[in-house]
Amino acid sequence: MKTQDIISPENIVYQKPTLLNDNDMHYCPGCSHGVVHKLVAEVIEEMGATEKAIGVSPVGCAVFAYKYIDIDWQEAAHGRAPAIATAIKRLWPDRLVFTYQGDGDLACIGTAETIHALNRGENIAIIFINNAIYGMTGGQMAPTTLMGMKTATCPYGRQADLHGYPLKMTEVAATLEGTCYVTRQSVHTVAAIRRAKKAIRQAFENSINRRGSSLVEIVSTCSSGWKQSAVDANKWMEENMFKFYELGDLKNTVKE
Amino acid sequence: MVNEHNDILLMKGNEAIAHAAIRCGCDGYFGYPITPQSEILETLAVEKPWETTGMVVLQAESEVASINMIYGGGGSGKRVMTSSSSPGVALMQEGIAYMAGAEIPGLIVNVQRGGPGLGTIQPSQGDYFQATRGGGNGDYYVLVLAPSSVQEMADFVDLAFELAFKYRIPAMILSDGVVGQVMEKVVLPPFKPRRTEEEIERECPWASTGRKGGRPINVITSLELKPEAMEKHNLHLQEKYKTIRENEVRYEELQTEDADYLIVAFGSAARIAQKAISDLRQQDIHVGLLRPITLWPFPSQRICELSEKVKGILCFEINAGQMVEDVRLAVEGRTPVAHYGKMGGIVPTPDEVVDSLKSQLL
Repeated sequence: MKTQDIISPENIVYQKPTLLNDNDMHYCPGCSHGVVHKLVAEVIEEMGATEKAIGVSPVGCAVFAYKYIDIDWQEAAHGRAPAIATAIKRLWPDRLVFTYQGDGDLACIGTAETIHALNRGENIAIIFINNAIYGMTGGQMAPTTLMGMKTATCPYGRQADLHGYPLKMTEVAATLEGTCYVTRQSVHTVAAIRRAKKAIRQAFENSINRRGSSLVEIVSTCSSGWKQSAVDANKWMEENMFKFYELGDLKNTVKE
Repeated sequence: MVNEHNDILLMKGNEAIAHAAIRCGCDGYFGYPITPQSEILETLAVEKPWETTGMVVLQAESEVASINMIYGGGGSGKRVMTSSSSPGVALMQEGIAYMAGAEIPGLIVNVQRGGPGLGTIQPSQGDYFQATRGGGNGDYYVLVLAPSSVQEMADFVDLAFELAFKYRIPAMILSDGVVGQVMEKVVLPPFKPRRTEEEIERECPWASTGRKGGRPINVITSLELKPEAMEKHNLHLQEKYKTIRENEVRYEELQTEDADYLIVAFGSAARIAQKAISDLRQQDIHVGLLRPITLWPFPSQRICELSEKVKGILCFEINAGQMVEDVRLAVEGRTPVAHYGKMGGIVPTPDEVVDSLKSQLL
């Protein structure tokens, strides 16, 4: 059987979503962003929500999310995505409005915007990529950097007396009255990818159906920032990140 | 709703802004309390426009969030506004620069108070530089309207939105604690419905509203990594600013025909200057007033023309001397230019303006 026969339409069992375009991604090999981008595109496509979707991209590695997923976007100032999404959703109440933010953007410079948007119960979904490091700027300490973890700005390892403690924003979000769905997922295995997709789907449906705020944290790898191979980064994440950032639903008030 | 029959009403400048917003098809207000402008949000909260016109009103967690809500709303083609006072507008500068870069229309109202820093809650015009020089990072301008009466507070809301959307630029109403707090008679603008979804999609084909009918995607961004592309975008912005300078200069002239001296003043200072001019004329000193209504674009051309005719110009502002720099740039040494002003929330009297003109120019 020739390659052409194998890739003929009747033999296709899986393909990338059409919303995910062919632009070359700037993400490093082993980075979780590519997988999560694919899931976001798949979910929007499967929901038939292309005409309703408005995404807000952050400052950080995902700043160019708008180059890869063919929906309308707004690119936010650092940390301000939840404020921007708040206004869009209130002014266009039938739209699917979501932000896509990293840990520095969401849990550090944008802490106020994140907490208050979630606490108001804005009908938006927040996709929160937590790789415990500032990837875009070259691997500096993040609010979510683990104790003892080495980065460019804590080269001897994170220490409580020097740097304070890693922040569990998802746990904070779960305590807020305005949130209806708060979950922590990952994309390190096929099974995890399926669970993460389901979580994104629920968060997006919550936005469309105006059920309150949803936060989906994706514990992610940053092989460049962590200075590890793609495979080693996945292993390190399982052994270290998951101990502190436990996977699973933290809150779900939505009746199926 | 207030004033269905276009009656003459008595209200504060801040209240007039709120009523005008509801009446001119404003889709949303996002703001944070700060003296001396909190009546804008308070009036909107009392009027409940979400039950009548559908206008969204939200008290945000900060001025930083407010301006980014304006970014999001304007970026999706809606007529949205915020208001604050000097320290709050300082906090908004990041968002205003992003709006300028991404070419997002929107309205920012600054009811100025004395500074720097936390300053005072009393009136000031100390934010002239901040308003007319962009205020944030990069090469950009904000279109700045300076009302000198409660009537202009009401009238400039719709004007600011029209200009903001015409040029895809943030517009600012630069008011102050006097014009915001003073009660005067006002006729509110005629009612104008909010635009429909179809109208927004037609008038703002660039807006991120969801890609209806599979149209190409719309992205609101101020980012471009390639310097050549970023330069091209900057040149486009500068070309737009040139068009605005050529077409949108607004000013008012009083008694300039026979004037030997000219006072240049904006906002509440122009009201004080009018009384000073009347007193000076009683002493047979012929003085006229040039009141810039747009502070950017600045009426440089007209001030240049008038400088050929007068023996001297007094720039009167409630600050240490900010607009006087633009006046001097327009005059280019043709005639003496003096400044008079006070700071810290002190509002000068007409007598002080009279004395200053006589001592500095006569």
